[in-house]
Amino acid sequence: MFEDSSFLPHGICLSWEPSLIWLHVASDGLIGLSYYSIPLALVAFVSRRRDVAYQWMFWLFAVFILACGTTHFFSIWTLWVPDYEIEGAIKAVTALASVLTAVALWVLLPKALALPRPTELRMANQALQREVEERRRAEERYVGFFNNLEEGLFVVEVRPDGSFILDTINPAHARATGLDPSRINGRRVEEFLPPEIAAQVIGRYQACVDADRPIDYEETLDLPVGVRIWHTMLAPVRDNNGRIIQLLGSGRDITERKRLQGELVQTSKLATLGTMAAGMAHEMSQPLNIIRMWAENSRLMMAEGAMPPAELDKVLGLIAEQTQRMGAIIDHMRTFSRRDNANAEAFDPAESVRSAVELVRHQYAIKDIEVTVEVVPGNCAVMGRPLQLEQVVLNLLSNARDAILARREWDGGVVGQIDVGLRFDPMRQMVILTVGDTGGGIPPGVLPHIFDPFFTTKEVGLGSGLGLSISFGIVDAMGGRIEATNRAFSDGAAGACFTITLPAISLFGATKGGRDGVGAACPGG
Amino acid sequence: MASVRHVLVAEDEALAALAIQQYLTFKGFRVTVARDGMEALSLFEADPADAVVTDLRMPRLDGARLIRRLREARPDLPVLVMTGYLGSEDGQEDLTSPAWEPLVVLKKPVSPQDILAALHGFSV
Repeated sequence: MFEDSSFLPHGICLSWEPSLIWLHVASDGLIGLSYYSIPLALVAFVSRRRDVAYQWMFWLFAVFILACGTTHFFSIWTLWVPDYEIEGAIKAVTALASVLTAVALWVLLPKALALPRPTELRMANQALQREVEERRRAEERYVGFFNNLEEGLFVVEVRPDGSFILDTINPAHARATGLDPSRINGRRVEEFLPPEIAAQVIGRYQACVDADRPIDYEETLDLPVGVRIWHTMLAPVRDNNGRIIQLLGSGRDITERKRLQGELVQTSKLATLGTMAAGMAHEMSQPLNIIRMWAENSRLMMAEGAMPPAELDKVLGLIAEQTQRMGAIIDHMRTFSRRDNANAEAFDPAESVRSAVELVRHQYAIKDIEVTVEVVPGNCAVMGRPLQLEQVVLNLLSNARDAILARREWDGGVVGQIDVGLRFDPMRQMVILTVGDTGGGIPPGVLPHIFDPFFTTKEVGLGSGLGLSISFGIVDAMGGRIEATNRAFSDGAAGACFTITLPAISLFGATKGGRDGVGAACPGG
Repeated sequence: MASVRHVLVAEDEALAALAIQQYLTFKGFRVTVARDGMEALSLFEADPADAVVTDLRMPRLDGARLIRRLREARPDLPVLVMTGYLGSEDGQEDLTSPAWEPLVVLKKPVSPQDILAALHGFSV
């Protein structure tokens, strides 16, 4: 549409004034050069920083500035050559690039403003670093606990198929059990333990999963370290869906403690026997006395011809009865002093109560102390060792006697009464054993300490101060409680009352086992 | 000292008391039996005996207290004590001391002959 020859070069407009011409050439040249260098820098920037947002915008800027630079170079060309058609086309291209860039820039502006500022990024970065550091420290701390604590710890993974994998055990537990972590970590329990022990252990793990709460128990295990008694605690860990995925466990070797406990019970039993020795000697001397008197009587009267055979037969029968009486006392002493290694069993507490009372009833009667027993039949049993409960009752009886005698010495009162009661509480499923006396009661200041080991208010040589604490231990091991209260009677007398509460189980179909062994509920008494 | 004819036996073991009663009766004594110290005291008050044979450990009133009460009425009452122990036990008094005479202590098991010998001793 344009004729080449019909236009004049732009220099004519400037009257070919050299200074003016050169001013335009220099300015347009420098602008063009600058405009050409800027896109190069932009392209170099975005090609190296591939993470920069909105890269296409930089490319758009590059095209726009490149186009601007070209128009300036072309202005120099048109000073001498009138190619205004081409110049116009270049400007049109530049205009297009400019409009696109301008529109895009306005559209982009809010998005660019929403981009995080470098300071924000830096702070976020720092916060992240702090968190990482905290987590590292926390992990270090828990790993430190796990690895350095002297408590035996282990983690068991519970697989959806119900199998148990030993995830890890800590060094303390490895040392205590003799198990090698590198050979058992990550393996199924039955892969590294003999079948019998594995079955025992898996049974406990399953019990924890079934109970869905922490459990603790004592168990005897034959591990590489030898046959030891363990006190183990297990706690279930759930995932977000509530499924138990892990068991956290701790195990403590209580073999030594058990042995010492046994020793202590035995020592205290012997001490009880010691304090009972005087009474026992009296018990023995009675039948012995009767035997001798009747034997000698008979001999003397036979010598005088005054002992017909029928009479002699009666006397010999009487003597035989007295030897049985002595035999029973000896048997009882022997049973009581025997080391009680038997396992816990279901037994009738009434038997222990009667046996203990029979052992002392006569001795106490001589001291004018009456012992009454009231057993409400309930067909209930408790778990434990019958002789140990007898020991507890004997200990309470002996304390009651001492209290009554001490009070008598002080106020001259004559009446001594010890009442022993045994009943079943169907509401609480508990067997309740009470031993009350008229010994004046326990001073309030002393009451909180009476179950402490070696605590005694008796004179030196009269009490070890172990009786009640051993009793406490025995009752505790049976899953029960022992408490002491003071009581007052309407006639002004006062006394102490010890109450032992033991979990009841049915006498019929009672399970043998540990403390967990609870059978069906008892019928009411 | 008058000869001993009537003996009061205080003993809570019925069979032991019976043995003593049978033997002493056979030997010509009149024998009264009490089952404890209180009963012995009332029997003695109703019908004073010439000598007392007593156990030490008895319900209601023990042997030592019984002797003291009886001696209030008769300070020279001959007493024969049968005991499972000798010396002090449970804070019991030492009955072997001369202050308690006339008193003989027999250790259980006791022979009826020893009781007889002691009663004859009192009669001398």
